Amino acid sequence: MADTATQSKSGARLTRRALIAGASASGLGAALAAPALAQKLIDLGLPGGPSLRPMEPAFPGKRDMIVQRIRPPLLEAPMDAFREGLITPNDRMFVRWNWDMPTAVKAAEHRVAVGGAVKAPVSLTLDDIAAAGEHVEVVAINQCAGNGRGLSEPRVTGTQWGNGAMGCAKWTGVRLKDVLAKAGVKEGATRVRFAGLDVPLTDGAPQFIKSIPMDIAMRDDVLVAWGMNGEALPLLHGYPLRIVVPGWFSTYWVKMLSTIEVLTGEDDSYYVAKSYRIPARPITPEEKDFDTVSITTMPPRAFITSHADGGVVARGKPVTLEGIAMGGDAALAKVDLVGDGWEVPCTLGPDEGPYAFRRWSVTIPQVAQDLANIGVRAANATGAVQPEALNWNPSGYARNVIERITLRAQ
Amino acid sequence: MRNPAIILAPMFAVMLAGCDSQPQVTFTDVSITLPDDPIDLPEGPGRDAVVENCTACHSPSTMLQQPRVSREKWESIAKKMIEVYKAPVDEAAIPAIAGYMVAVQEADAEAQRP
Repeated sequence: MADTATQSKSGARLTRRALIAGASASGLGAALAAPALAQKLIDLGLPGGPSLRPMEPAFPGKRDMIVQRIRPPLLEAPMDAFREGLITPNDRMFVRWNWDMPTAVKAAEHRVAVGGAVKAPVSLTLDDIAAAGEHVEVVAINQCAGNGRGLSEPRVTGTQWGNGAMGCAKWTGVRLKDVLAKAGVKEGATRVRFAGLDVPLTDGAPQFIKSIPMDIAMRDDVLVAWGMNGEALPLLHGYPLRIVVPGWFSTYWVKMLSTIEVLTGEDDSYYVAKSYRIPARPITPEEKDFDTVSITTMPPRAFITSHADGGVVARGKPVTLEGIAMGGDAALAKVDLVGDGWEVPCTLGPDEGPYAFRRWSVTIPQVAQDLANIGVRAANATGAVQPEALNWNPSGYARNVIERITLRAQ
Repeated sequence: MRNPAIILAPMFAVMLAGCDSQPQVTFTDVSITLPDDPIDLPEGPGRDAVVENCTACHSPSTMLQQPRVSREKWESIAKKMIEVYKAPVDEAAIPAIAGYMVAVQEADAEAQRP
């Protein structure tokens, strides 16, 4: 037994060494440079680097994902995942776990405890949840609060995401308020807090629990969901149940839901009171003393998906640019292609609801010169518009600066 | 004789359930196998301190992907792991951990210079 373990360990080590040689350009130093093995790498264009990321190892139920971390998994979708349609397939949806996740769930044993400020605490089976109310479908974007953090300038530490920590899916479940009704919310309830099966790696570390205000919890489109694009929620996305809060960053979309707790005061738990917070006012990178607020709703964003930075377009010919856009916590109102001192409105594609991606396209009749520093700018129904300059914050949250690329005319 | 309404009521409930054709949701047991972490840490002074204190929780890949930051920032990150995440990090090892991260990032920046 011990021998086998040792052998497999040294075997694994050899494999790791081999891969280090292959990945030397990804940030392991010149001393380790060796003939490159065929490791598939992608350049995320992170300013100052390290910018190359492996597209392996493969994860179950996933294909062509950027591996930002293996344990607990952090997988990012390359931008080509967004080139067609509005729905991100389950095998291209980004994955983010704060703590180690269980790799097995026994359906008959799973329970969701509903407690706290309720009339009668209950422990619900999965069938109880499915029978708690009308089955509801919502098309909504799931986006990490730190999406695009790796593009921050000056750079900040944390998961160095490009812009692929997002995706749009059709979620199926019951309304959270119908599940809460099973226990009966008491007078004076202020927030609803969620916990999942993922637990800290170290004793005494804060559990990943998150809460939303009562008025958000009671919304008709806030779900306890088991379905993702018509399939059972994959384990990497929180099987058997996850919270869905359309318009809010996915930090609140607690996965492998096991506890629902009604609060009567503020939530002083770590991931609400101390983490996932942004400055209450715009700051400079030098500032250290400022108040913070929780990161909650998403701002509008838009991306060009038909062309990548540095791409080539035919001089003298028309070119059609396409991409995706989102309104964030309100419907998308408008997308403009913007350049240096000019802007052109884009045509919007099918509307799958205020919280879904929407495709846009625009045709430039004749390309006269390089399309330098072009970008797309989304505005939503509340009047929120993507800014020209990054709203820098020390944790790299809620990036929504206009993303710019240059296309060469040839 | 019983009031017909009392008999009708449960029948009505059954009919409602029949008409209320919500798709049946079936939950099954699910398990997956996650891949091993294939990337190790390059040699260098302080590597042992990093292996002993950091790799239990952190994939080496994540550490090596961080942007270049100062020695002080690495020291404050290590302290945060102790204070916030209750990580069993030996406080005496923090200078060696920070030194290793700074050296690895410096070597990487050198390698990237044309």
